[in-house]
Amino acid sequence: MEAIWLYQFRLIVIGDSTVGKSCLIRRFTEGRFAQVSDPTVGVDFFSRLVEIEPGKRIKLQIWDTAGQERFRSITRAYYRNSVGGLLLFDITNRRSFQNVHDWLEEARSHVQPHSIVFLLVGHKCDLEAQRQVSRQEAEKLAGAYGMRYVETSARDAINVEHAFTELTRDIFALVRSGDITIQEGWEGVKSGFVPNVVHSSEEVTKSDRRCLC
Amino acid sequence: MEYETKAGRAGPGNPTSPRQSVRKNLDFEPLSTTALILEDRPANLPAKPAEEAQKHRQQYEEMVAQAKKRELKDAQKRKKQLEDRCKLEESIGTAAQTWNQEILPNWSTMCTSRRVRDLWWQGIPPSVRGKVWSLAVGNELNITHELYNICLARAKEKWNTTAAPATEAETEDVDSSDRESSLELIKLDISRTFPQLCIFQKGGPYHDVLHSILGAYTCYRPDVGYVQGMSFIAAVLILNLDTADAFIAFANLLNKPCQMAFFRVDHSLMLTYFAAFEVFFEENLPKLFAHFKKNNLTPDIYLIDWIFTLYSKSLPLDLACRVWDVFCRDSEEFLFRTALGLLRLYQDVLTCMDFIHMAQFLTRLPDLIPAEQLFQHIAAIHMTSRNRKWSQVLQALQKDQERGSPVLKR
Repeated sequence: MEAIWLYQFRLIVIGDSTVGKSCLIRRFTEGRFAQVSDPTVGVDFFSRLVEIEPGKRIKLQIWDTAGQERFRSITRAYYRNSVGGLLLFDITNRRSFQNVHDWLEEARSHVQPHSIVFLLVGHKCDLEAQRQVSRQEAEKLAGAYGMRYVETSARDAINVEHAFTELTRDIFALVRSGDITIQEGWEGVKSGFVPNVVHSSEEVTKSDRRCLC
Repeated sequence: MEYETKAGRAGPGNPTSPRQSVRKNLDFEPLSTTALILEDRPANLPAKPAEEAQKHRQQYEEMVAQAKKRELKDAQKRKKQLEDRCKLEESIGTAAQTWNQEILPNWSTMCTSRRVRDLWWQGIPPSVRGKVWSLAVGNELNITHELYNICLARAKEKWNTTAAPATEAETEDVDSSDRESSLELIKLDISRTFPQLCIFQKGGPYHDVLHSILGAYTCYRPDVGYVQGMSFIAAVLILNLDTADAFIAFANLLNKPCQMAFFRVDHSLMLTYFAAFEVFFEENLPKLFAHFKKNNLTPDIYLIDWIFTLYSKSLPLDLACRVWDVFCRDSEEFLFRTALGLLRLYQDVLTCMDFIHMAQFLTRLPDLIPAEQLFQHIAAIHMTSRNRKWSQVLQALQKDQERGSPVLKR
């Protein structure tokens, strides 16, 4: 059977509550901006195919976590099986930026000796007038931790595709170079050569359509 | 449906005469397609052969007959629906009467009787729901309306003091920052609580009530504080009870062992609950259990949301209320039984899915869930495992855990 995706990457999305994690993911997977969304209790799941090169598709399995501090003891259990992550802060909320360090430490301490490929995301960049964190400052912090930095807006659909695709490309490069390997009992990266299951074909057409617009 | 009025007006037994096909002689005005079929061709074109005309007439009659049949069927369906609805309303009415006149006045003696338990299972009539919930949840904490008012006043005081500064004054005091963010979180979550109902949002009739109850609770139990998911529980209570009574039920409900374990995010105790759940899962649905295991789908993935919000976020509201009804009767055990009922209901769909589709399905259940069917599936779940009840299984696992058994380590 022909595999419709080369690899499956499990990504985790973290950051303070209300920075817009669910909105960003829904913009990416559903192509729309949800005006109102439920608060995430525990974890929510999304998936989408991404074409990183013509004919090379990666299936992203996205874990959307609850941001409230109280839930951290639950969500930290989900780091181990993630290969990559988007760490979000809200550019109009300085505190969410100050907590970036804590989030990283928390993640690192739970996946050692392995690591998660993180992308730092400054979200809600459409709200330029209320900005509390400068781009330079965020870039500097990202650089210090060896992360890329992207500014996104789910509302105006700015850089959303770019953020997910760049992260996927980075992980793909690490998989190709052998720095990240598929391991039994680890869910972070899975090879696509498995029998396909329901809905797969539907997903292909859906995401293809999205790529056109 | 246009043909119906027109054709209907024509009266019975009209479309048989051979001259019918001439427009002027029709005793009804043919509509677009009817006209094409029944009318002769214009004079400048060769006439329709009689055979063809006959065939067209016949086809047309068949069409009409079929459409009529469909109409009749629809009408029957509508009638049945109406009857069902009336029957339902009647049964709710009589049930409400029974609850009001017989059961509620004799609550302490009747609440455990077989008859009341059966009636309870069928769903409490909305008009007495709040009262029954209040009685069943009880008030172990002895909260009075005065205490609620005191807590509320304290909460309001706090809102007023934190509303003022909140700028660059970088006091890195963990405690205050946590409290402040929890206040902000309450505000934000209220707007995200049942948004489709449009009653809890700013300007809506219950916005302030929800805000008050959640705020008062953070003052009543600062050690627990506000945790996401609470706004849904409070909202469901507000829909069925007056404010102070809703608060009393809220605080007592959250004080139950299972809810305390979850809202304080006592991770190891939560894992014990999940482990107990898995015991009954394997016993009741062995095939699905194996499928979940194979896909590494652990119960935390779907149970956290279900338990935290007592299904009010995941099930349609009326169905969630029915789950609450029996939850009030059978306590925590019923929450896990409901989970197994849901898994049983969707067993066939789930067994053909992979991890991500199962996870997505379970965290976003279908919009339409057949209530009676779900309750049949819940009823089919046996909450005994090797002669042990839920509470016994849970207790045994808790003891194991205290002894540091590796079973719960992941």
